[in-house]
Amino acid sequence: MTSLDMQTGKPSLSMRVSKLNWKTEGERFALVFSWLLLIVLFGALMPDSFLSWRNFSTMFGSQAVLVVLTLAIVIPLTSGDFDLSGASILTMSSMIIAVLNVKLGWPIVPVLLIALLTGAVIGAVNAFFVLYFRIHSLIVTLGVGTFVNGLILWISNSQTISGVSMDLVEWVIINRLFGIPLAFFYAVGLAVVLWYVMEFTIPGRKLLFVGRAREVARLNGINVTRVRATSFVVSGTVSALAGLLYAGMTGSADPLSGLNLLLPAFAAAFLGATSIVPGRFNAFGSLISVYFLVTGITGLTMLGANTYVQNLFYGGALVIAVSLSQLVRNRQPQDFS
Amino acid sequence: MRSLILRSFMTATSLACLATPGLADPMADAQAIVASHKDMPVFEAPGEPFDAKSCMADKKVLSVPISMTIPFNVELQKAMASAAEEVGFTYTTWDNQLKTDQWIQGISQAISQDYDVIDLAGGLNPEWLGPQLKEARDAGLQISATHLYDVTQDQIDSIDSAGKIDYTAAGKLLAAWAFVETEGKPNVLIIGSSDVLPSIPFVKAIQDQLTELCPDCKQKHLDVPVSEWATKIQSGTQSALLADSGINYILPIYDSMSQFVLPALRITGSEEAVGVASFNGTPFVLDMLREGQVDMDIGESLGWAGYAAIDSIMRMVCDLPPVAKLNVPLLIFDEENVETAGVPATFDDGYGDAHLEGFRTLWKLN
Repeated sequence: MTSLDMQTGKPSLSMRVSKLNWKTEGERFALVFSWLLLIVLFGALMPDSFLSWRNFSTMFGSQAVLVVLTLAIVIPLTSGDFDLSGASILTMSSMIIAVLNVKLGWPIVPVLLIALLTGAVIGAVNAFFVLYFRIHSLIVTLGVGTFVNGLILWISNSQTISGVSMDLVEWVIINRLFGIPLAFFYAVGLAVVLWYVMEFTIPGRKLLFVGRAREVARLNGINVTRVRATSFVVSGTVSALAGLLYAGMTGSADPLSGLNLLLPAFAAAFLGATSIVPGRFNAFGSLISVYFLVTGITGLTMLGANTYVQNLFYGGALVIAVSLSQLVRNRQPQDFS
Repeated sequence: MRSLILRSFMTATSLACLATPGLADPMADAQAIVASHKDMPVFEAPGEPFDAKSCMADKKVLSVPISMTIPFNVELQKAMASAAEEVGFTYTTWDNQLKTDQWIQGISQAISQDYDVIDLAGGLNPEWLGPQLKEARDAGLQISATHLYDVTQDQIDSIDSAGKIDYTAAGKLLAAWAFVETEGKPNVLIIGSSDVLPSIPFVKAIQDQLTELCPDCKQKHLDVPVSEWATKIQSGTQSALLADSGINYILPIYDSMSQFVLPALRITGSEEAVGVASFNGTPFVLDMLREGQVDMDIGESLGWAGYAAIDSIMRMVCDLPPVAKLNVPLLIFDEENVETAGVPATFDDGYGDAHLEGFRTLWKLN
């Protein structure tokens, strides 16, 4: 199971209750405060350029793909499974769009549906091997992801394909609302849907129970296999949606570059698990963590920092944030069993 | 006294002119550089003619490209294999996917199968394979590196010859193009990858040429390792454009970077105000050029490059003087001639085939 243990003791005195609540609320919103602090800091250093709406609309729009991929992997993480094939599905989806739309001249709408369907099918394959053969999801999704990478090289002939329909490009980054590319609103919309499903629907609560205590969920009559299978299929479909946005963002598809988004997505998912609902992978925490990281990186780059500073910030912020979160919870062991 | 003052004034003026960097007519110089790369390439013999067929009889060459998942390498290998077939010697490509263990396997195969030459092609750095190459040389094999070094760089001692590319000329051309297109007022973002060996002199050539043409013009260098192109080029370009709204030209030194530059231009709304020019002549970028998304791409025919690489390897085997640089022309593709590269574009269309007859004559195959 993949869950972050967040149990805390029950307070006996009202003082302790209020102190604990302050601590808990502080932990919930620490990342949000850190994000605002970064904005204030960089804004003070570069008031004209950093605080411009153009800068914020650019940051919001450009990270939509990473947000959607992060939300995709959060789904199986919530049910206790890793999906390492997410970035491969993303790349496959964008390549299918490029091959069918550019090389074969198919109209864009059915091509998009085929790309999403492909993601669902790959998710189903993951589910089949994990659940039928009872193999750890880490192994299966790593293998399936690598297999998919081979398929991508095959269907693309190792080539980058440009010229994806401008209709898609327009509906991803050219058309705007409040100056922000539409891709951002798709990502936020998906986060809202995921949050609602997780918090207020029976399937969402089942997903959480399965992730927290699989055997207890089974004994309570939850069909654990079906829940886990559904999480893989939905994750595959959402990863394919990220690929759709990726193709729309670049207007092209290449067989390798999308694969580099896997680690940033996992970093954002784990960082997001320290925020809003600490100890649980959650949609808004993931969303905020992506924009916290990109704000830091954008500010540093605008200040003229070298590329390696971005890696220092990215890795450093992740480890420090998770460590601080652990300190707040008295270093209770994390459960990744 | 007056003549002394006048003479002093003239001397001071002359010294001031000498001290000021720059050119008398930078626009004319930049236009001349651009014009010299617009004509159809003409074959220039890289060395003395020699009887390649008899010299290479029974010789075996194994080429290890950096990765066969990169289309550039696939096409370069095709051209090299085609040239080797014309001459009539054994040429084998060691297929791999950018993995060190696969490169080592290739070298071991070459030693055990009694090959005469190991060629490291398309960017594979011999410094990554020091012990293996030493073992190969101890076994009597010769080592060459194709399409890695810039003409200004020295090859390392563990190899016998290097087919060098004139990245410096490409850099000067990119700088001149940006200068001409911005009517002498370039504010340029250069995107490089210092982890790729020739990138350093390539970027330096752009910077030096821009400084020479326009000492006061602004230029910025964004350095992104190859493995991080997908995650850092777009964000870095966006930040640069937001930090300096005066940037009017972007020069990604390798044209495959362009696919990450264009989203940055779209998101920041800079498509109309900022031009893009690059180097390589990769087909999908030429397609983007045809669609008006990129302004210029310097093409290097991989057909020419393949034949020139085989020429360089054969001169090493035949103990002839090495060539200073591979005979690969740099041809400008812009909106005027991009259709000649094919629709969709290919790696080898638009350059003519003067190299075929040229090399055949040089190798005494006719």
